[in-house]
Amino acid sequence: MNRYRLLLLGLAVLLALSCAWSLAFGAAQVPLERVWAIIGQHLFGITPQVPVNSGQDSIVWQLRAPRVLLGALVGAGLALVGTVLQAVTRNPLADPHLLGVSSGAAFGAVVVVLYLGEFAGLLSLPLAAFVGALASMLLVLAIASRSGRLHSERLLLAGVAVSFVMMAASNLLLYLGNPHAASSVLFWMLGGLGLARWELLWLPALCLLLALVVLLGLGRALNALMAGEQSAVSLGLEPRRVRLLVFVVASLLTGVLVSLSGAIGFVGLMLPHVARFLVGAEHRRLLPVAALLGALFLVWVDVAARTWLAPQDLPIGIVTAAIGGVFFVALLRRR
Amino acid sequence: MKRLRTAEPVGASSARESWEKIKASRAKLAPTFVGAILLALLASPAGAVTVTSCDRQVSVAQPPQRAVSHDVNMTAMLLALGLKERVAGYTGISGWKTLDPSMREQLAGLPELAARYPSLENLLGAGTDFVFAGWNYGMRIGGEVTPASLARFGIPVYELSESCAHVLPGRVASLEDVYADLRNLGRIFAVESRADELVHGMQRRVAAVQARLGEQPTRPRVFVYDSGEDLPFSAGRQGMPQPLIEAAGGRNVMDGVAGSWIKVGWESVVEEDPEVILIVDYGERTAAQKRDFLLQHPALQGVTAIREKRFVVLPYLAVTPSLDNAAAIETLAAALHPGAFAQ
Repeated sequence: MNRYRLLLLGLAVLLALSCAWSLAFGAAQVPLERVWAIIGQHLFGITPQVPVNSGQDSIVWQLRAPRVLLGALVGAGLALVGTVLQAVTRNPLADPHLLGVSSGAAFGAVVVVLYLGEFAGLLSLPLAAFVGALASMLLVLAIASRSGRLHSERLLLAGVAVSFVMMAASNLLLYLGNPHAASSVLFWMLGGLGLARWELLWLPALCLLLALVVLLGLGRALNALMAGEQSAVSLGLEPRRVRLLVFVVASLLTGVLVSLSGAIGFVGLMLPHVARFLVGAEHRRLLPVAALLGALFLVWVDVAARTWLAPQDLPIGIVTAAIGGVFFVALLRRR
Repeated sequence: MKRLRTAEPVGASSARESWEKIKASRAKLAPTFVGAILLALLASPAGAVTVTSCDRQVSVAQPPQRAVSHDVNMTAMLLALGLKERVAGYTGISGWKTLDPSMREQLAGLPELAARYPSLENLLGAGTDFVFAGWNYGMRIGGEVTPASLARFGIPVYELSESCAHVLPGRVASLEDVYADLRNLGRIFAVESRADELVHGMQRRVAAVQARLGEQPTRPRVFVYDSGEDLPFSAGRQGMPQPLIEAAGGRNVMDGVAGSWIKVGWESVVEEDPEVILIVDYGERTAAQKRDFLLQHPALQGVTAIREKRFVVLPYLAVTPSLDNAAAIETLAAALHPGAFAQ
């Protein structure tokens, strides 16, 4: 347990340092000492010792800081969701986007971009994406639960089926719509943290915290479910209940995250495996590590997304998939 | 916020700096803040200009000093208005290779802030105090850079009128869009007389074409070919080519489609049987390559324009809302009605 605590502490410190350091990367050149000065001024009210102009202040404090934090929240959330889904479905390939939630969110985004316009200002896209995600989740639940039973295979298959239908609907609208608008939607689907704002961060932060508390509470049940339905029943658990609760929590959290960042792939699939590799499959130990790793990963991947093609932003989903895929192959070969 | 900025004597960037300072010390210096507002209220009528952009009202306290424009057509408008010293940079030209040869020298010395769409960081990093862009011309609906997202930083946005079709459905493109954009920019930058000069110049050239055309018995059918192999990318009635073709005495065969730039099917091209094909020249593929592709397309062999090899090539700049629209109308009219322009 001691070594585990050390690992948690180490990861948390590393995450905090990474968040701070990553603020220095981006299309515009802002020297590190000015970044520190700006952060110091906003967080602790320290008067900057170096000259800082208002453009740099806006870039670091209004654009990069919320973006880095959103990246950490999304990374942590997706890794968390991936971990518990892999447990309840006993499928190592389960992934937040398999639930159909992401494609539902994408459909909502398509409708906004092509037909509704910015009906709610800056919130239009996140709002519509979340409604789409919610609709998808309910649809998956309705399909997967026949006569009150919720099987893991049915859940996965229903998720895949709803995903396909939602993607078909999105693609149909995109095909019929303006190709320029289609490229906007594509950009969104590939994921990005460019819409991050301070005012919006509380929502994913709160959801992540609640989800973490609920899922940690279900830690023993998750362990049992991963070992098999029999062992869960023998422990006096109701696998169906647990599965439903996990599914709803996972879908809602994914919906909130996806609506703010687009569908960022691979984090939810890969990081749980890395975390298990580090601390084993006991969920009360595993979940915090997976979340921290996810956050750390996405913070740095976003640095790559911001700098590789600067001054252009690269959609972050492309980078997660590229880095993630290579990393995963390396991991497989070492084991 | 806008009002506050009017209290500043010169330069929106210095105004923004002081806004940041005021914001930072708001709690401690409430009386100063109130004072600034009062001062602003008194000062606001002096230099502030308000124009309509799509369905919004856009105000600038003073003429912008560090403007950023997107794409070659909008950048060309600012340069033609004589505003080069007040342009901080442009975006979205090299990414699509739309640079018109005539523009190369004019752009010299201006930085391209982003090869495609700008990010907020690109714009803030350049100290931008005004943005001239359009929907799907540098801004995406629900995207990172929109009038709403830039408003948070006190950066006003004027939208290209033609692109308002993406936020105001049912809008049809017209030459008036270009005139209105030039006049509005003239007011924003306080160069009204130069803007009027440019508008009158365009109107004179269009009127001269109309006079030459007179009453033509037919309106030749024109198909706009931008690009695309599996499906052609063309222009519907909300795109700029529509009024250009109309003014040149032709009919856009895709005028039944309520869209600006759209993908259509080869079948509908065959069915409409265009008499002239307008090739938009930009990008990787040359106009000659596009022409050869169309000439060799098996399905098009029966189409009149292909059989008679009637093509008009116009640069990207000329068919997007720009000052070059007048030249586009002249070229098109001469190609559509060679008889009227023979002498």
